[in-house]
Amino acid sequence: MGKYKKYINLVYLAIFVGMVVIAYTTSKYRPESVLVLFTDPSWLGDWPKWLDFPLMPFLNKWFDILIVKYGIMFEGINFFLLGLYGKMKNFLVGLPWPIVMISVILLAYFASGRQTGTTIMVAFCVFFLGFLSPRYWDKCIMTTTIVVIGMLLCLVIGIPIGIMMARNKKVRNALLPILDLMQTIPSFCYLIPGILLFGLGAVPAIFAIFVYAVPPLIRLTDLGIRLVDKEVIEAAEAFGASKKQKLLGVQLPLALPNIMQGINQCTMMALAMVVIASMIGTRGIGDEVLLGLQQLNVGMATEAGIAIVLLAIIFDRITQSYGERMQERVHHTKEKKK
Amino acid sequence: MKFLKKLILSFVFAGVMALGSTSANAACKVHLGDFDWDSANVHTAIVGFIIKNGYGCEVEVTKGSTSPIMAAHYDGQLDVITEVWRDNIVQMHEEAVAKGQIIELGVNTPSSTQGFYVDKATSDKYGLKSVEDMKKPEIAKLFADPEAPGKGRMTSCISGWTCYTINLVKHKVYGLDEFYTNFDPGSGGALDAAIAGAFKKGKPVFSYYWTPTGLMGKVDLVQLKEPAYDNACWTEMMAVVEKIKADGPDAYTDTCASAYVDMALTKSATTKFANDPANKPIIDFVKQYSLPTAEVNKSLAFYIDESGGDMEATAKNYLKSSDSWTKWVPADVAKKVKAAL
Repeated sequence: MGKYKKYINLVYLAIFVGMVVIAYTTSKYRPESVLVLFTDPSWLGDWPKWLDFPLMPFLNKWFDILIVKYGIMFEGINFFLLGLYGKMKNFLVGLPWPIVMISVILLAYFASGRQTGTTIMVAFCVFFLGFLSPRYWDKCIMTTTIVVIGMLLCLVIGIPIGIMMARNKKVRNALLPILDLMQTIPSFCYLIPGILLFGLGAVPAIFAIFVYAVPPLIRLTDLGIRLVDKEVIEAAEAFGASKKQKLLGVQLPLALPNIMQGINQCTMMALAMVVIASMIGTRGIGDEVLLGLQQLNVGMATEAGIAIVLLAIIFDRITQSYGERMQERVHHTKEKKK
Repeated sequence: MKFLKKLILSFVFAGVMALGSTSANAACKVHLGDFDWDSANVHTAIVGFIIKNGYGCEVEVTKGSTSPIMAAHYDGQLDVITEVWRDNIVQMHEEAVAKGQIIELGVNTPSSTQGFYVDKATSDKYGLKSVEDMKKPEIAKLFADPEAPGKGRMTSCISGWTCYTINLVKHKVYGLDEFYTNFDPGSGGALDAAIAGAFKKGKPVFSYYWTPTGLMGKVDLVQLKEPAYDNACWTEMMAVVEKIKADGPDAYTDTCASAYVDMALTKSATTKFANDPANKPIIDFVKQYSLPTAEVNKSLAFYIDESGGDMEATAKNYLKSSDSWTKWVPADVAKKVKAAL
């Protein structure tokens, strides 16, 4: 690898020249012959029309192939996620509301390590979801279901990727630009293709949640594992721990507070996305905001907006307080070790 | 002192205004509102091109979705809108007219249709010609709604537009609600993508849609027959629609229903802009502006397939290929526009 390194810039140059040549030869606006470019310098004024890399037709063609050839695969993913979503949603919507409310409160109570303050706050927020408008209760359940499924998907895929990144520098260098891309590309760039692939409804929203919310989880998992004290790892190695033992027994437990923070961020971003997703026909509390805005009904939009904030507080308090408990436990064991 | 200051300031202001209007034609400025669907883009492009080159005004275009653009228009920030789907926002629009915020400038495309559509392949195969043909469980299965087991899905209008509630009432009156969900796609782009996606995959699609649109030229949709439009029936239905919009779907009462009337797409300008005498020629032109559906469809096809989404090229293409626009403007303006082509 090392001896080719000095040629790398030449390779980049060749790729660049190749792209310009492709742009020139495929453009329908190109001058009759290349010589015109030298005799008539007017193309130096405005950006010339022939200097246009044909990325759009290429992407369109590629996307068509994706739909036509691999449609079955997406259909399968669609079927699986939709089944999961439908079952979970119908179950929760079917339960009487006090039972749902009590289970959320109990979850908050145990997750926060029996803190009364957090529990009361969560209970208050849950009650206010329905209290703001009875319509909101079922819609909040739909939103929650989508967020939870999106989050599970993020966990299952994001944490292993985060671990891989922490252990291998090359993987990290390759993945970081992709994560940047996922976080900055405007959401409609993948929401509308999501409809073409999965159809309207919950699944493109889950897909969008994944794209939007998984980067912070991956980053924080990676960071958490890399921040584990070197001495601790050396000690583990000195005791003859295998790679697997080191990971599962030392690195992951010590990185847990950071990972929990990642999960918390992941949830918040998922919730933000699920509101935008109402613009692609995803049912949930985001509908109400959109409907309010479409009718210029500021009160209605704000009321629904408050419900989303309450939902966010519930998610945040439960994951955050659970994370804090993890942190305490980690510090506890550290102190014991000392 | 304060009074004096105000007086001087107002003189200065008046002076500037006077200066501005003496050199009116060069310094006039028109802010057009545009939307996120293609027919509006085409109208805005043509009107904008004529105002810019024929009347020598500076033209600024702001694009967005219905509510923000209309809100800015009512607020006086956007001077002229060249395509208003009046029937979809009828309450808001009439209120703004009544308050004197805007004035209406007539129709931009005389006949545009909206209704329920099925893709041609499915229609031919199962003989689906009218809404009555849709009322069979085995037909509903073709359009299965994955989120509502046992029902078919009709992709409907965007909730918040009046057509969503109209479709809801029509479903109940026609008895379609037993078989289909009235599915809100959330936004115009999502509705287009749902239809285009179904065609790409070769799947059956049942949807509310309208013309003129660019997508209509690309996919083969068949409009389902509904009971013919009848004014008395429509009025009765709209009363129920308004009640549902105010009190929720439980307010539904039995009514009659009929096909959509050919909708009028209208134009409007802010009262502030229209009352300024300097803008009179422009208002006169916008009032005259009206493009038949066939012309719109032609321009749409060019806009989407050939120009690659270039609004100005589309406007030029229309102005070059047709002469109908010369009737809207005085001869000298027409000359200037032609010179700019």
